[in-house]
This record gives sequence, structure tokens and C-alpha cells, in this order.
Amino acid sequence: MATATYPPPPPYYRLYKDYVQDPQSAPEPPPPIEGTYTCFGGTYTTDDVLPSLEEQGVRQLYPKGPNIDFKKELRSLNRELQLHLLELADVLVERPSQYARRVEEISLIFKNLHHLLNSLRPHQARATLIHILELQIQQRKQAVEDIKRRREEVQRVLKESLGTLDGH
Amino acid sequence: MDVISQLQEQVNTVASVAFNTFGSLQRDAPSVRLSASYPEPPQTAAAEDASSFAEQPKLMSAALVKAAKQFDALVAGLPLPEGGEEAQLKRIADLQAENDAVGQELQKQLEAAEKELKLVQELFSQATDNCFNLKKPE
Repeated sequence: MATATYPPPPPYYRLYKDYVQDPQSAPEPPPPIEGTYTCFGGTYTTDDVLPSLEEQGVRQLYPKGPNIDFKKELRSLNRELQLHLLELADVLVERPSQYARRVEEISLIFKNLHHLLNSLRPHQARATLIHILELQIQQRKQAVEDIKRRREEVQRVLKESLGTLDGH
Repeated sequence: MDVISQLQEQVNTVASVAFNTFGSLQRDAPSVRLSASYPEPPQTAAAEDASSFAEQPKLMSAALVKAAKQFDALVAGLPLPEGGEEAQLKRIADLQAENDAVGQELQKQLEAAEKELKLVQELFSQATDNCFNLKKPE
């Protein structure tokens, strides 16, 4: 790892001396990285998936399963949040020293809310892709129609001009 | 902003309104007498404080409830079609196949149109050459 203030460029440039004459004489660029890699001392991963709540050590309040009803879960989490805020207000009035547990539960609900919203993003991405594909198909069909129309017009004009020239 | 970002913003708004409410109520609440044996708390302009202070919880809790209702309204506006992930993936595959087919037809039409264009240009240049050289049309 280069630690100088202005490190020199890597010495691979010498291998590409004859690249203009013979592109095969130089080595191929490295293939795309798969899996995890280290960059400036930090590990990164190429597999971009949202880590589940358990992996982050947070209890999941909404039911697991393949198909979650997002609207219902979001609404019920909102209700629970309001209830917990009221409970916090009560606890602060009557037993102020026991606020910590209530605050922890409120932050748990917020974490679940944000995790649910984040898990909606792949769905949104797929919906955007569908929309883009539909738009593209529509544009291509339009272009095909336009080209057909123009070609027919060209044929017509050519026939007309042929008729005009023959009568000349 | 798309609806999911709005929902995330709204969650953060609810959180900030909640902790601002609790924080300012705790900070501004008048002192409470815990027991008769403790001396009276010092009265520092308590009169106007009390009247304006009674409004604060009402306003803040109204703001909190309003933020929560806005969140519900945004959730109701989520465009979530039934079917789940597999239906979406199948639709994507179908659309891709259709896109490829339409793309190939577009390519065919383009090639045919280009051929015709070249032909017409060729004929036109021949005709103009004949015109310039004053050749009789056959």
C-alpha cells in the first residue's frame, strides 16, 4: 500500500507500450470482483442485500413470512408507536425513574418501521423497471409505425413522380 | 419525492416532534411539591408561565397526532399491487421478451428503409447526372 504523500502511478503502464500496434500484447483488465473486497482498510461486499433485523440484533415486531401486507403492518406499527408514547407520558408523571424501558421500546418500534420501509425499496425498483420497459416498448412500437408510414409515403410519391415523368 | 422517501421523512418527523414535546415539557414544567415537609418552591413569575404553559401540551400533542395521521394517509396512498415478488419478476420477463421482439421488428424496418433510401439516392444521382449531361431519357 502506497503511503507516500503523492504516490507514483502503478508500474503496469510499461506493459502497454505496444498496445496501439497489437492490442493482444498487453494484459486484459482484471475481471469484476465478486464477493467481499477490502478498500482502504475497510471490507465491502458486492452483494447489496438489506440485512434482516435479527442480523442487526433488533427484535422484529411484525410477522415474518414470504408476503407481508405492508400497509397493514405499517398502520399497526404506527398505532403501537402512539400507544407507547402515551405510556411514556404516564410513566414520566407517575414513576419517572422507569423511563428507560419505555424509551427502548419506542426506539425498537422506530427501527422496525424504518426496516419495513427499506424492505419496500426492492419492490419499488422492480416496479420502476416494469414502468421503464413498458415505456420503451411503447416508444419502439411508435417508431415502427412511423417508419412504416414514411416508407408508404415514399412509395406513393415515387409512383406519382414516375407517372409525372412518363407523361413528360 | 417518491412515496417511500416521504414515509421515511414522516417517521423521522414523528420522532422529532415526540422527543421535542417530551423535552420541552420536561424543561418548562413548573415545579411540583413532593411532600409537605419540604419548603415551598420559589415562585418565579409563575402566573403568566402557568397560563401559557397549559397551552403547550395541547399544541404539541395536536402536532404529534397530526403527524401520525399524515403517516397513515401516506400509507394508504402506497401503490402496492397484489401478487408479490414472483408476479413482478414474471411481468419483467414478459416485458423483456416483448421488448426484444418489437426491437427486432424495428431493426428490420430500419434496414429496409435504409436500403430504400440508398436506392432512391442512387436513382436520383443517376437522373441528375443524365440531366446535367443532357442525355435523353430512355
